[in-house]
Amino acid sequence: MTRLFLIIGCVLGLLCCDPVAAQETASFRRASRTTLFGVGGARQQDTYLSPLNYRGLQLNFLFGTQRVTHLLDSCVTFQTLLQADFTSTTNAPEKATYLGGVVHFDAAWHYSFCGSAVVAPSALATAGGRSFRVLLGPQVGASFGGLYNTRNGNNPAQAIAEMHISASAAFLWRFRLWKQPLVLSDQMDIPLIGMMFSPAYGQSYYEIFTLGNRDHNICVTTPFNAPTLRNQLAVDLPFRRCTLRLAYLADFRQSRTNEIRRHTYSHAFLIGWVRQLDILRPRK
Amino acid sequence: MNKILHIFRLLLPVVWLSVMPVSCVKEAQFDNTPEGNLDALWTIIDEHYCFLDYKKEAIGVDWNIMRARYRQRLTKSMTNAQLFEVLAEMLSELRDGHVNLYAAHDVGRNWSWYEDYPRNFSQELQEAYLGTDYKIASSLKYRILPDNIGYVVCSSFQTALGDGNISEVLSYLSTCNGLILDMRENSGGSLTYAELLAQRFTNERRLVGYIAHKTGRGHSDFSEPEPEYIEPSLGVRWQKRAVVLTNRHCYSATNTFIRDVKGCPLVTVMGDQTGGGSGMPFNSELPNGWSVRFSACPMYDAQMNHIEFGIQPDIQMALNEADRARGIDTLIEAARTLLNQ
Repeated sequence: MTRLFLIIGCVLGLLCCDPVAAQETASFRRASRTTLFGVGGARQQDTYLSPLNYRGLQLNFLFGTQRVTHLLDSCVTFQTLLQADFTSTTNAPEKATYLGGVVHFDAAWHYSFCGSAVVAPSALATAGGRSFRVLLGPQVGASFGGLYNTRNGNNPAQAIAEMHISASAAFLWRFRLWKQPLVLSDQMDIPLIGMMFSPAYGQSYYEIFTLGNRDHNICVTTPFNAPTLRNQLAVDLPFRRCTLRLAYLADFRQSRTNEIRRHTYSHAFLIGWVRQLDILRPRK
Repeated sequence: MNKILHIFRLLLPVVWLSVMPVSCVKEAQFDNTPEGNLDALWTIIDEHYCFLDYKKEAIGVDWNIMRARYRQRLTKSMTNAQLFEVLAEMLSELRDGHVNLYAAHDVGRNWSWYEDYPRNFSQELQEAYLGTDYKIASSLKYRILPDNIGYVVCSSFQTALGDGNISEVLSYLSTCNGLILDMRENSGGSLTYAELLAQRFTNERRLVGYIAHKTGRGHSDFSEPEPEYIEPSLGVRWQKRAVVLTNRHCYSATNTFIRDVKGCPLVTVMGDQTGGGSGMPFNSELPNGWSVRFSACPMYDAQMNHIEFGIQPDIQMALNEADRARGIDTLIEAARTLLNQ
């Protein structure tokens, strides 16, 4: 029992200790967390389900983290992004509906070219030196989900499962408008190579999963058969350690595998916040 | 360095705007006009239907000439009902029960696979044989006939049929001398349920057929046919003689069930040729929103023969009108005689 009190006392002591004193014995790792909610329009086609275009609503949820790493003199940031898209689209005669849900997970390493790495626009807004940063680096990602057609029989849905390696580029630009510091940022991700699941042209899911017959169901994707682009343009209004973010997301995902053509073009307006964090790290 | 940054800053929006219209992956869209809808329907069948070569050889349907032939019947002022009639007629050339056109007011179809033949079935007679004290296990109705023959009616594979249902039925009938499985009027449903039932009639893994799928838009673009096997069920299996009754209304998944059990050592298929329907159907749609169903994945028997137009029974048997008038089902009586021998 005495030992338990000692442990609790130590924990409380650590929590209540002077942060300045803590800085003397430990270092901070800069990090940020972004949470965004979006709404927009989507246009979809999947020739496995229907040759028609479908249009409708898309809802998005994005959660991202970013932190400065020790790589290349701390000029590299590590970014993770979890994006969930939910779509409900109908064909032109409004006789059928697609219900879709996809979760994308991406991790990127960005090298900062024009100054030290920053993890949040608010950090750039308060940072000295250049007002412009260019970031470039590799990204790996994966997507999982499905698209369901409400009236098809033996081809009612299309599974979405893919992995890719992308080129990711971004810029951050600090400027002032009516004395208010603002940060404009844009990030563009273009998959360069990957692989995705696809049924063969006329293959049923019954044949793939019940009978276990495989036929080129894992396809290599490149910009030639899957030209895909994700672009997020954002304006940040820094406010102390939290930042209001307004963003526009253009997400164009396409593929042509096994003669099945698929695309989802979406545009969404996002709103949310970015929180800058200083993560305490014990000194080695 | 500043100059480079400045140039980069100016170029960035240009680069961004130039990449925005990335090369699009799209399918050609047809207009929502009579011509556009006919062309869309013709193209769907041309690129996805799996029996075009076979139907050309078997019944002389040349799909390549259909578009021009039926386009002649289109007019700009035609009504939806008139357009539906033309499109449904074009589809009916394929003589396939899995090919349909669905609109709010009608279903385009060709049901000649059973409409052109004797029914060999009477609902009243079946009900008379079942009586009123029969049992029901999902889609199976069953009872023991007076001569200790089990009688099971399976009129659909659309209702969920589980291993437990089948085991209960076979356990109940296990003291019978034989089994009559009446599949007449069963026009199909889920292949999974058909397979579950077929697994009760074999004690060994059996090659029952092949399945393929289209790999491209060409009429002959097919995958290598993959063998299909029936594995013996781990539940109760029927170890006595069984007669499976068929008529022309046995279609689709039921046609596959007959393929699977025909050739099992203790099973005799009796009745009329089945209706066929060996292409697993997919759906698509037209610019005006009408839904289209078509055969997409061909299935074959163990000798790689097409079974699209049905399977011959082991014993051909028809419902005798004189028997019918006397309240006797010729097929059931013939099955009882066979099982009691």
